[in-house]
Amino acid sequence: MFLINCPYCGEREQVEFSCGGEAHIERPKNPSDLTDDQWADYLFMRKNIKGVQFERWNHINGCRRWFNVARNTATDEILKVYNIGESAPSISGNNPTTPSGEPVIGSGNLSSSFEKK
Amino acid sequence: MNLQQDNCINSLSNNKVENHFGVEIQELPFINKINVRIDINDNQNIIKCGKLINAILPIQPNTYVKNDNVKAIWLGPNEWLITNNQNLYSNLKSEIGNIQASVTDVSENRTVIRISGEQIFKLLSKFLVLDLEKNLPDESSCAQTLFVKVPILLVRNNNEKQIPEIDIFTNRSHANYIYNLIVDGSQYLDF
Ligand SMILES: [Zn+2]
Repeated sequence: MFLINCPYCGEREQVEFSCGGEAHIERPKNPSDLTDDQWADYLFMRKNIKGVQFERWNHINGCRRWFNVARNTATDEILKVYNIGESAPSISGNNPTTPSGEPVIGSGNLSSSFEKK
Repeated sequence: MNLQQDNCINSLSNNKVENHFGVEIQELPFINKINVRIDINDNQNIIKCGKLINAILPIQPNTYVKNDNVKAIWLGPNEWLITNNQNLYSNLKSEIGNIQASVTDVSENRTVIRISGEQIFKLLSKFLVLDLEKNLPDESSCAQTLFVKVPILLVRNNNEKQIPEIDIFTNRSHANYIYNLIVDGSQYLDF
């Protein structure tokens, strides 16, 4: 559990919010031109970064508004809250190192060498 | 189905006020509720709505304004709940319910449980994740949050000189759940 600073209501508990997944994923302009692989990539493939990740959140049990959050997924530290439509801030943050040396991307599965194109 | 006469909490029918260890609980009689959504930059509709309800729609998050008949409660940057004991809905609907703004009658969506007493902030803190001192600072404050698991809207009625009084707007189907927890929580408040 952690606190999120809703742009309207101020600091509230995380249980009042709902995470809408990775932010800044643009819907392809011409979906019919895509190959199945490209479409699947748009629909299902997410970065799952260990470190600073840009996410969409909704204050579902409050003002019900969407906004973007830059969150360090390893520490749950929220580095920035910004509006929908704004581009991602340039925050790199320090990705924590782990004894097992997990990769930054796809860290949930060490055997995977997948990197998002 | 007409729910207007129905009371959600069985033991609180006919506007009965119960007192549990100094906490007074009442289910308020039916009141009209209108959900209004207007773009904050749409001055024309904002002003029109203000004239019809005879109050200025609050822009400040988590506040409400009231006059004798109407409360206009902030729900979001372009969304308000207007409670009234007149019949404002048809006027609002015809005047501002157009393509830019929406007016929806939500009267039967929620019921209002009013609790009052010196200890109610303490009582509510047993069930809320919200910091009440911070989020309900004065008599024009309201807040949307969770009551254990269910979504509620809190409206504070008293100023700091009066006995604390809070209206809890809740879905009708959750009213008994909240009532039971409040009655239960009203014990052992001197912790
Ligand atoms: Zn909010």
